[in-house]
Order: sequence, then C-alpha cells, then structure tokens
Amino acid sequence: MKTLIVSLVAALMGVVSPVMAQSEQYTQAMTAALNTLKGQNMKTPPAEMLAAANGFERIASVETKEWLPRYYAGLEYVFLGFMGKDAAEKDAYLDKADAHLKAADAISPDNDELAVLRAYIAQARMVVDPMARWQQYGPQFQAGIEKAKSLNPDNPRPYVLEGSSLMYTPEQFGGGTATACPVLKKAAEKFATFKPKSDLSPNWGQAQIAPMLEKCK
Amino acid sequence: MKPIYLFFFFALIAAGASAQTLLRGRVLDERGRALPGANIYLKGTYDGANADSTGSFRFTTTRRDTATLLVTFVGFENYAQPVNLTGTPLELTVQMTESANELNTVVITAGAFEASDTKRMTMLKALDIVNIAGAAGDITGAVNFMPGAQRVGEQAGLFVRGGSNLEAKVVIDGLIVQNPFFSSLPDVQQRGRFNPFQFKGTSFSTGGYSAQYGQALSSVLLLNTTDKGSQDGVSLSLNLASAGVTYDNATEKSSVSASVYYGDLRPFFALVPQNVEWLKAPVYGGTSLTYRYQPTKNGLIKAYGMYSDSRLGMVFRDPAQAQAGNEMGRATLNQHNRNLFINSTYTDSWDEGKWALNTGVSISHDTDDMTMGAFDFSRQNSRAQVRAVLTRALPGNSQLLFGAEWHAIRLGNTVFGNAFSLTDQYAATFAEWQVYAGRKLALQIGGRVEYTSVIGRMNMAPRLSMAYKTGTYSQVALAAGQFYQTPDYSYLFRNRTLAYERADHLILNYQVIKNKRTFRVETFYKNYAQLVRERVDTSSAAGFDWRADLGNPYRFPFGPTDNTGRGYAGGFDVFWRDQTSVKGLDYWLTYSYVDTKRLFRNYLTQATPTFVSTHNLSLITRRYFEKIRTNLSLTYAYTSGRPYYNPNRPEREFLTDRTPAVHNVSFSANYITAFKGNFVVIYASVDNLLNTRNVFTYRYAANPEGQPGRTRYAVGPTTYRTFFVGGIIMLGKRAKVDLNKL
Repeated sequence: MKTLIVSLVAALMGVVSPVMAQSEQYTQAMTAALNTLKGQNMKTPPAEMLAAANGFERIASVETKEWLPRYYAGLEYVFLGFMGKDAAEKDAYLDKADAHLKAADAISPDNDELAVLRAYIAQARMVVDPMARWQQYGPQFQAGIEKAKSLNPDNPRPYVLEGSSLMYTPEQFGGGTATACPVLKKAAEKFATFKPKSDLSPNWGQAQIAPMLEKCK
Repeated sequence: MKPIYLFFFFALIAAGASAQTLLRGRVLDERGRALPGANIYLKGTYDGANADSTGSFRFTTTRRDTATLLVTFVGFENYAQPVNLTGTPLELTVQMTESANELNTVVITAGAFEASDTKRMTMLKALDIVNIAGAAGDITGAVNFMPGAQRVGEQAGLFVRGGSNLEAKVVIDGLIVQNPFFSSLPDVQQRGRFNPFQFKGTSFSTGGYSAQYGQALSSVLLLNTTDKGSQDGVSLSLNLASAGVTYDNATEKSSVSASVYYGDLRPFFALVPQNVEWLKAPVYGGTSLTYRYQPTKNGLIKAYGMYSDSRLGMVFRDPAQAQAGNEMGRATLNQHNRNLFINSTYTDSWDEGKWALNTGVSISHDTDDMTMGAFDFSRQNSRAQVRAVLTRALPGNSQLLFGAEWHAIRLGNTVFGNAFSLTDQYAATFAEWQVYAGRKLALQIGGRVEYTSVIGRMNMAPRLSMAYKTGTYSQVALAAGQFYQTPDYSYLFRNRTLAYERADHLILNYQVIKNKRTFRVETFYKNYAQLVRERVDTSSAAGFDWRADLGNPYRFPFGPTDNTGRGYAGGFDVFWRDQTSVKGLDYWLTYSYVDTKRLFRNYLTQATPTFVSTHNLSLITRRYFEKIRTNLSLTYAYTSGRPYYNPNRPEREFLTDRTPAVHNVSFSANYITAFKGNFVVIYASVDNLLNTRNVFTYRYAANPEGQPGRTRYAVGPTTYRTFFVGGIIMLGKRAKVDLNKL
C-alpha cells in the first residue's frame, strides 16, 4: 500500500512538476518583464518599449492560456502608438495592440482590464487625428470604459482613462478640470481600496493621475 | 548533503553547457535594410532576443532537435523557419516581408477623388469638405471646388468635365438618389437636400468608375452614411433662414436620430438685397429620422427617411413667353414641392470577412405643383429600387464582386397644360474582379449589363482600371470604360424609339501623398456617341421661332429627336494640398482645364456647350486659431467665361460669344465655445466679399416682332455680396474632440 502511494505520488509529481516548473518560469519571466515596464515612462526610447513588448510576446507564445502577457504586450504597443513619429507608424503600432487584444480576449472573455485596454487603444487611435476620428473612436472609447465599469465596479483604471481624457479635452468640448476632477477623484478613491488579484495583475494608473489631481485642489 | 548538492549543481551546468545551441544572425527587410527591434524567438520557449540597432541578434537555447524560429516585427508579416538544434551554432539571415498596408499597397484611384475618415490615404477628410468657405455647408457646394468639377452658377447639379448636370448621379450607400437637390427653379442654384454630417465618406468620381454604377455619362458622387451615432441629447440650431431641433440617442447596438426644421427666408431677404423678384419668399419645413441597428457582430441595418414641404413664388424671365409687350417674358412662378425619401440598407460579412453582402432598398416620391404665368407646369416623379452586392475576398487582397439592381420609375410632367407621363423599369447586373500582382500592381476588370423597359433596349458596358505604384508615396493609374445612360425623360415622353446615349472614357492619373502634402494630376479624353439631337427646323415654315428656343434652357422638346449627336471632351486637372509648410495653415489649390465640343440637343453645329467653362481654378485656405477658438476659411474661385447664344449672329457663329469670367472670394468663421456646460458653435460667412457683379449667362429680350432681338440681359446670382450667421447649441452632448493633440 505504502509503495503504491509513494509511486502514485511520484507519478503525480512526474506529471505535475514540469507544470510547476513552467509556472515558476512564467512568474519569473513576467516579474522581470513587469519590472522593465514599471521603469518605463513617456521619455523611454521607443526601441526599449519595443524590446519590452517583444519580451511579453515571447512569454505569450509559450503561455497560450495566460491573457496577461498579451495584455501587457498590447499596453506597450498603445504607449508606442502615442509616441510614433507619424500617423502611419502610430497606426501600425496600434494594429499590433489590436492583435494582442484580440488574442487576449479569446483567452479571457469579459475581462474588465481588457475592456480598459480596448478603450485605451481607441483613445490612441483618436489622438492620431482627433478632428477626423473622434466620431469613429469616441464611441469605442466610451463603450470600453462603460464595459469595464460594469464588469468590475471596483477597478479604478476606467476612471483613470476617462478622467485624463476629460482633462485634456477643451472646456468647449465638454472637458476641462471641472468635469475631469470628479472622475479623477473617483479613480483615487478606488485606488485606495483596490487590490490586484496577483503580483502580475494590472496595477497601473495611480502615478499617471497624481499630477492631474494636483490641479484639482 | 552539501557535497551531493554541489555535485548536482555542477552536473546541471555541465549538462546545460553541452545542450545549448547558439543562434545568431541578422533580420533584414526586402531591400536588405536592418530591422532593429524585431522579435526573434523559438516558438513555445522563453528563448529569444530582440534585434539590435544593426538588426543583429544572438541567443542560446537548451532545446534540442527541431524547433520553429519565429520572427515578428511591426508592419511586417510574421516569419517562421524550422531549425535543427544540435549544439552547433546556427547562423541565420532572416528576410522579412512588409505586410500590406495603405502606404505600400497600390490603390485604384483614376477618376476618383475621395474624402474619407476610415481610409488613411485620402486627399481629404469628411469634415474638410464641410468647413470650407464658399461651400455653405453643402456637399455639392464643396464638390464644386474639387478637380474636374465646373461651376455653373445658375443651375443645380454637378457639371463634370464637359458633362451636363443630367449626366451626373448622386448615390447614397449604393442607391441612386432621384432628387438629390431641392426642387429646381429657373436661374437659381439649389442646394443638396442632405446634411453633410450624416456621411462618413464621399467619393467624387469624375469618370472611369466601377461597373457597380451606371446611368451616368460623366460622373457619380458616392456618399456613404455613417454607421454609428456618436452623440446623445438634443441640439438646437438657429440661423437667418431656419430653426431646427435634433434629438440623438445611441446605445451599444443601436442609435436613433430625429430632426425637425422650419425655414422662412423673409428675415434673410430683408437683410440681403435680392436680384430675384420674390413674390412669396420660400417657406419650408421638414423632418428626418435615422435608425441604425447592429443585429449581429458584423451585421448592420440602417434606415433613413425624410420628408419636406416647401412653397415659394417668384418672377421668372421665361424666354418662351417673351413677346412684344412683355419683351423679357416676365412670368410669375409658383411652386409647392413635397418630397419623400426613404433609404434603407443591410450589410453583413461572414467567414472572417471573406464574404460580404451589401443590400439596399430605396423609395422616393416627389411632387412639384407648379404654375408659370397662367399655365400648369406640374411635375411628379417616383422611384423604387432594390440592390444587392456580394463580395468575395480572395487571397492577396484580390476580390470578386457581383450584384444586381432593379428600379421602377414613374414620371409625370405637365407643359403648358399638356400632361405627359411614362413608366420605366430599369434592371442591371454587374461583376467586377480586382486582382493584385504583388503590392505594386492592381487591376480591376468589370462589366455591366443594363435593360431599360421604356426604350426596350439593353447595353453591355466594359470597365477597366489599373494602378501601379511607382514609389513609396506615388502611383500612376489608368481607367477606361464605356458608360451608358437612358436619354433624358423629357425626350422619352414623345419618342420611345431613342437608344442609350454613350460615353467612352480614358483617364490617366499620377499622385504623390507625402508628409501631409498631396499632388495629383489627371488627364482624360472622352468620346460621346448616340447623344440625343433635336431636329431643328430652321425654315420659315416652322410654326415657332427656333431662335427663341435656342436661347431657352427651360424649353420642352416638342420637336422630332434622334440619336445622331456626338462630341468629345479632353483636358486635365491638377490638385495640390499642403498642410505642413506654414504651421497651422491648410490650403489646397485646384485647377481644371477642359476642351469640349458637342452636337446635341438643339445645337445647330458642334460647339462648346453653354454650361462649359474652359478654366476652373480655386484656392481654399483654412486655419484654426486656438486662442480665439475660431476656425477661419478663405476661398477664391475663378471660372472662365462660358458660351452663350446670340440670336443676332449667323448660324456658322453659333455659340461663339463668351460671358465674362466669374470671380468669387468668400470667407467663413466658426467659433466654438461652451455655454453653461453645453457645446456651442457659432458660424458666420460672407459670400462674394468683393461684391463682384458676376454674370453667368446672357439672354435676349424679344423685339417688337416677338423674335429674339438685340437687347440682351444678364442672368447672374440671386444675390451679390451675401452674409449669413447662425448657431448650434448641443445640450448635454458628449463631444470628444481633443484639440490639444491637433
């Protein structure tokens, strides 16, 4: 009996251990890649952002059941989409972001963070040529924000995007501090209680809105 | 324990070292240039690297045997290559292929001038054509500044490259619009009936267009309606002539927009002196409803309906009624127009976009209760049409398209109290194959077969266009084809043995779009055949004065007709737009040249038609002033003189006189602000800033014998210098325009 249990445990170990090992490898790789991401800002050279996006893409190629590597790769491409040198380059980055979002959506449908990413991509698309694109991407942005809020009312990030978008919209178009501040404050409130699901889960936004909240005082 | 552990550790390293394979190499594009930032990795492993600034990469893997090397890079097709991992270093050179995009793939452009927001490579955006001075917020007004268009100040419609307004069709979502302009009045240019904001894209085709469209000898103006409502709330508009309310509501899957307006031109007429003697200033009212619904992921149903009612009275100088005692032919004209238009489409796609379906139904009904002097000149027309187009996407950007359409038309026209009517059924089927040879060369071959019941005839029209990419930013394109049109119904009322009129087009185009600067030149030659000709009896035995008829564009063709007319048109147009050279300034320059002659209608000899101006030039400038939140636009337009009929010249000098050139400088300003949190736009415009006394054509008053005499009078615009102001307030609308990022 004892031998049977031992051999069973051994067999199980045999099956389980490679998975465990891979999962550890995943956590390690993601942690490293996330540390790179956290060290980046809008002044980071695009080449480094691209390198970071590549890192997430490589993880995604192994971890076909994980949505996070796709999510972060998409996020890096959104940043690149804001930084591209011309409209064509920006759109090429955002096409990549869209491809990663699509792959992530297939792994994890109805995910609030992916709805945020969808809104973020729409915003980046709109900024490429606001006058011509707001009619197309404005509603997409709004739809992403609304979906994220309904899927997870505690997520502060839809409020981060909505608030910062309003902050940069001129008053005559319904933006400005007066309309942006209540939304940004709501984001700040949500951050106070928000707990990411794991160390790898999205947890950005607080630093971005800090300087804007200063203006709200 | 410790020694064992250590031993194990060393063993691992040793094993690892012997199991590792080094992969190194370079990633290049098709022309051998390095691609820094490319992502190189072994599929399903964490092993990989990024290409450095020289395109080089280097990494090791512990994987043995076979694996797949994947290389990805923004804007390039993914690259995969099987590799054999044995421990011996691998040296690899990866050549990536650029993925198809709007910059590197040729597009078929000859003949078409596009304003679109969804396509990235266009000359204009949808909004560009609304915000320009001189267009008065009217799409057709704006199209008149595009290459190939000829401005004819006293008539409604589009005159393109020597073609008359009857030879251009307006098409909304694939369906022909029966009455695109407000009901025509003699010597008054009428606006289009449609609000420019309901369209996401406009394609103005000046010839050589696709087999999908027919019944237009010279041009089609393709308007595509927006797919989504983007606003919520109520907006109010008020200007010198009208007041309106619009309600919008959009949800995730559907949107609705409803509007009501009422107009009365009396306040405007009180402020701006009129050249027309109005007996009853135009009064009009109308309503429209748009509904869009997305039943499935890719499916979309759009329904649009509108109804309008207008009344007016004016004094019109009718050459047909000119006689001794009333030399100018002064006649009172009273018109009551009612127009109903319903346009509905359903589009869907399946199998990852491999199959696409576009269907549409449209119904229009228009009645003009009209009297001129004591005579009844009523008009009625109705058209019902259905259309379906199925598109199959093929590998490598190619596609195959086929479709059919069917129209039922009923027309009535009373002339001097005599009623004419006819019914017509028109059917067409078409197919088109678009094929790409690489990304540089594209070819489109199509054909269209049509049947018209009223004349009992059919035609087959071949169409061909091709384009070749000559550089990263430039391309040449060619288009050729045959175009048929059923003769104008005013001829068919009395003669149903007439055949189709035909035009053959040949167009060559070159364009460069680079860094927000656009240059485009297009040259064309058109041959006209089988044009309808009225047999003019110039003998003294004729019961009426044929010379009076020659100078009367509003005559009804009572005489015998046949298809012996012919003609040609040749010329070129140039377009230049620059959005970068002067910071904040956007300007575009258009020049069109046409040389054309025709023997058609009641012409005595082959001559340049009265609606043709050889040179058309326009300069449009725009600038947004951030500090005062105002968009300013200034437009200058020049139209060279047009031929007019002088009855005092011998027949061999038919249409040799020219009117003076027409100059127009116009200005407009849009001021954007917020009032108690509501979005407000205030606009003001001045047309004909220099108050130029423009003349569009001349006509001749009757002499004491009742024949056209020596005294001529000018036909000009309804007003000279004109100003207009108005405003829109959007209550609680969420407009997301990020001007800081412009």
